[in-house]
Amino acid sequence: MKTSTILKYILLGIFNALMFYVVPLAITYESWFLLLIIGIITFLINITYITNRLKPLKWITPGFIFLISFVLFPAGYNFYVSFTNWQTGHILTKTQVIERLEDLTYSTDEQKGVEFDLYVMQDSNLDYFFLADFDQDNLLFGKAVTSDQFEDIEYATHEPSFKDSNNNITIPESLYLLSGKEQIANSSTLQDLSILIDKNTRIKLYNISVFGASSGRIFSSQQKYTYDQDSEILYDNRKNVACTLGDRGNFVCGGELVDPGWRINVGTENYHRIINDDRFRGPLSTVTEWTFQFAFLSVVLAFIVGLLLATTLNNEKVRFQKIYRSIYIIPYAIPAFISILVFRGLLNPDFGLVNDWLDPFYQLFNIEPIRWFRTEGSSKAAVLLVNTWLGFPYMFLIVTGALQSIPNELIEASKVDGATPRQSFFKITFPLLLVSISPLLIGAFAYNFNNFTLIFLLTGGGPPIVGADVSVGYTDILISFTYNLAVSGGRGVQFGLAAAVTTIIFFLVLIISAISFRYSKRLERVYGNI
Amino acid sequence: MEIYKLSTWLKEYGWRHLVGLTFVVFSMYPILYVVANSFADFPNLENSKLIPDSFTLKHFQSLYGDPLVPYFKWLFNTYKIASLAGFFNVLLGTFAGYAFARLKFRGRRVGLITLVLIQMFPAFLAFVAIYLLFFQISDIAPFMGLGTHFGLICVYLGGSIGFNSWLIKGFMDTIPESLDEAAKVDGASDSQIFFRIVAPLARPIIVVLFVLTFIGIYSDYILAAVFLKDTNLYTVALGINVVFTDDFSNEWGSIAAASVIAATPIAVLFLFFQKQITGGLTAGSIKG
Repeated sequence: MKTSTILKYILLGIFNALMFYVVPLAITYESWFLLLIIGIITFLINITYITNRLKPLKWITPGFIFLISFVLFPAGYNFYVSFTNWQTGHILTKTQVIERLEDLTYSTDEQKGVEFDLYVMQDSNLDYFFLADFDQDNLLFGKAVTSDQFEDIEYATHEPSFKDSNNNITIPESLYLLSGKEQIANSSTLQDLSILIDKNTRIKLYNISVFGASSGRIFSSQQKYTYDQDSEILYDNRKNVACTLGDRGNFVCGGELVDPGWRINVGTENYHRIINDDRFRGPLSTVTEWTFQFAFLSVVLAFIVGLLLATTLNNEKVRFQKIYRSIYIIPYAIPAFISILVFRGLLNPDFGLVNDWLDPFYQLFNIEPIRWFRTEGSSKAAVLLVNTWLGFPYMFLIVTGALQSIPNELIEASKVDGATPRQSFFKITFPLLLVSISPLLIGAFAYNFNNFTLIFLLTGGGPPIVGADVSVGYTDILISFTYNLAVSGGRGVQFGLAAAVTTIIFFLVLIISAISFRYSKRLERVYGNI
Repeated sequence: MEIYKLSTWLKEYGWRHLVGLTFVVFSMYPILYVVANSFADFPNLENSKLIPDSFTLKHFQSLYGDPLVPYFKWLFNTYKIASLAGFFNVLLGTFAGYAFARLKFRGRRVGLITLVLIQMFPAFLAFVAIYLLFFQISDIAPFMGLGTHFGLICVYLGGSIGFNSWLIKGFMDTIPESLDEAAKVDGASDSQIFFRIVAPLARPIIVVLFVLTFIGIYSDYILAAVFLKDTNLYTVALGINVVFTDDFSNEWGSIAAASVIAATPIAVLFLFFQKQITGGLTAGSIKG
């Protein structure tokens, strides 16, 4: 067998092993859809590489698996999410919610057994620990926590080493034993703490004693909810009521919603909210308007600077052209996230250098210094200034390239016909230039339309629009606005709504690209070799 | 006569240099400022200036040793993620590009058009779905779930594979097919033709695409921000912007030093491949 064949089977083996590793996990989590996908992918891969019939697929499959799984599929999934109420309070599936609700317990205040000695300790992190002294053979020790931490905590363990042969308590040096007085001083914290013996039984501090050992008691708790699969009814054991399925992905107990709920399909509700809900539509239309203005002005400003430089320097008799060119390309060579950070320093309203230079003007005209990033106008100006800095090298390069490809005879001919330099520029050079670079200008527009990095890192979308129902600022563009909806906390995350906005951005990008294609000859080249 | 000459020179060319120099200052000022500040001895942003009074290496030293700000770990993470994702991206893209350029098969046209269509949308647009998908994958396959580098690499891998295979296909179209046919006559298989003839000849575009993909991933913010939660696993873009900017003014020295270290290799790489990259610009590629 050839080495390449052996290598092929080794790689195939690794791939299959990886896939089969996921199978039992997918079964545990009842992810049937994932199981199906794994099955199909594994089958296709093996068919492709073992048989010799699908030669082209051998070359295409690896790349397309990634393309489909991490680009196409997420795009489709995004569309699906936009029709759900996936948001804070509706993150889990129904099965997961029922599991979680059935895990909840409540304290019955029912006491079991008698009092026993309880010692309270603290470690260097100031976490509390209890040691319950039942007798020599039963010393229970554990970290004392409040009821919302029960799920993450280990049960108390038997620690005979905490007592010496004379029946005195000996604790490790890493722990500090609290005296009765100290326990009284911290009693408001201590009364909420307990150590767990098992899921429904815990030990609490019962009575603090200043002279002897304090005492503890055992408390039992009970399952808060029980779910009946057949009738789909959830019983609230504490209040003794039956809860029914609500139509918004919650259980409803006597008019009250049980939290958490699960995610359900809500149809076009998210889109309705975007279009019809005034509290949402207002900010969104502000953001959309600015997104278009920002992308348009960014392209225009960078283009003007690039054009100015290119036409100024594109003259055989101008010396040092190469030096100019290599300097202008430097802003383009630096990662944007660095340049943006530097501009944040330069434009800082209190300490920045830009305000230092402008100080003479402020003094001369007796005006207030610009409060960069704190007002709507200055933030927008800063965003455009920085984006011009970031974008003009690209424009300079493409305009220079396009200028050099315009045949000189055309300009010469117009001169012969008596055109002034200005006329020949505006009537001949400029129109020809626009024809050849307009697809690139549209491309730059589309790029800036989603220029998340600039907005998010420079202004964070700010300054905030006061009184808006969602977290949004004056320089937010659609993509950063969506990011806030989906990621930033405050009012909770709203994946469904964010996905709906993203879907709208998808369509806007589609329209922009369609326009671009009409100008571009790229497709013609595609058809050349199809 | 001399004066006349000078004034025509000024009229013809002097203003051109004036405009040129103005923009030299405009483009270089922020860069010189941050480089100077990374070496300058000053307590905070308020006391920073373009030409410092005295020099020090303390800002660079401050990047070492603080376990809460593992700057060099971020740098290592970024290089790891960007080179792995960049390498496999271009490798798989080259495979696919080869099939589209040289092998005749049904569905080739559909595949190509799919590539062009996908290429229109930036991959990060679906970040909500990517987040939610990996949030669920975390349960089933924790090694590639949310917060892992492996998962992030997978996302970056998918992100520009369409674009890259498209450009590689275009380049391979320009390699004369007579070369392969001659090899075929001599009994070479598809993979021999690929590894011995087409791939070596396509090396210029492969190298440039690797560099571009690498720089693109190095500079990405949004996907890394959605994906990574643990400070130790941050990329440098995320680390600098999340951790340092808490106390912007007082951290200014460290920010400047960190920026210089993070930006220099990328700028050098970019300037080194300047010709090839800017050659590709007019073909419609845009740096991410």
